[in-house]
Amino acid sequence: MNQFPPVVAMIANDYLKRVKSQLRLVPAPERDEFLREIQSHLYEAYRQTPGDDDVARILAVLEKLGEPAEVVSDRLPGAMVRSGTKRNLPLYIVGGLLIALFGIPLGFGGIGVLVGLLAALAGVLAAYYAVAGSVLLVGAVFMSMGVVRILLPGLWDKLVLLGFIQINGLPLFDYLSPSEQGLVLILFASVFVASGLGLLRLGKHLLRGLHFLFRLALDWVRRFARSIRRQLRRDKLAGLPVGGLSFVADR
Amino acid sequence: MEYSDDGRDRRITQMRKGILELAVMGVLYHERHYGYSLVRVLTETGSISLKEGTVYPILARLDRDGLVRSEWVESDQGPPRKYYALTSLGRQLFDELSQEFELLVSLVQRDWKAREQSEHAGKRLVVRKG
Repeated sequence: MNQFPPVVAMIANDYLKRVKSQLRLVPAPERDEFLREIQSHLYEAYRQTPGDDDVARILAVLEKLGEPAEVVSDRLPGAMVRSGTKRNLPLYIVGGLLIALFGIPLGFGGIGVLVGLLAALAGVLAAYYAVAGSVLLVGAVFMSMGVVRILLPGLWDKLVLLGFIQINGLPLFDYLSPSEQGLVLILFASVFVASGLGLLRLGKHLLRGLHFLFRLALDWVRRFARSIRRQLRRDKLAGLPVGGLSFVADR
Repeated sequence: MEYSDDGRDRRITQMRKGILELAVMGVLYHERHYGYSLVRVLTETGSISLKEGTVYPILARLDRDGLVRSEWVESDQGPPRKYYALTSLGRQLFDELSQEFELLVSLVQRDWKAREQSEHAGKRLVVRKG
């Protein structure tokens, strides 16, 4: 009985398809035998993985098994391993979860939503960096004001006279000596500079996250385009399951 | 200065690659296994975490070199299983490799205090090449 719930069958078959696509240069009999072996592994591992959540179980199995590129690495002569196309398992897990949640592969509408989401996220990221930049700029301005106050009091007075520097609402400031005022400004500036640098550092994580999502989206679009191409060509293999076999959904 | 996690992981991976093949041969020396049961045996002590997919490239390599033979066996619980067992050539090679392995282990774990006491002890240990 190699029967899986539909969602599990879908995820397992998708994995097998990815293994198959890695093996496209391997002679068909050898390839099909290997796919049967991996199918057997998925079945055994799934059966022995405890849990009530079917999707979590099959994803745990796939995560333990590893990326198709790793699984097939010695089935091919070294030069034939498609090193550049190795996909990350997290991509697969997110994809699997989405398929599990929505139950459908993404169509044109899905791609539209995806592009919109990514554009929004890119906007958020741009705004984030704009804020980080502004905070740094404010820090730099205060820093130079502090330096001018300490080293060039004459210039400071001139700037105040000309109205470039206006310090209002801070009566305490006037009680301080010029160098103390300068120090206060530099201290104030340091807080801004530190915040700005902190924001830039945190931004790296945001960038990495966005990069990940872009790759995820590209992956989907590529897969979607491939499925459309296959349909258009009406390739006789298009409708066939992997290697002539696949998991059967029991519902 | 501390070593980097990447550097450590890379070295562990390199070390495991060779030794894992030997471990797979060791398991198949005594009884036949299919991929998943082999993984279970290798990980049953819980002391090593293994990407399960790594056994398949190893099995492919051993198969290609004629060190294992395989056969499909029907299972009453699911799809057929592909069982592997070591060939006589594989057994012969395993015997040799495991001797080599023991030498290497003794090289790593030799007792330095005992060695210091005996001036010529180092000469006893010979690592064969090839």
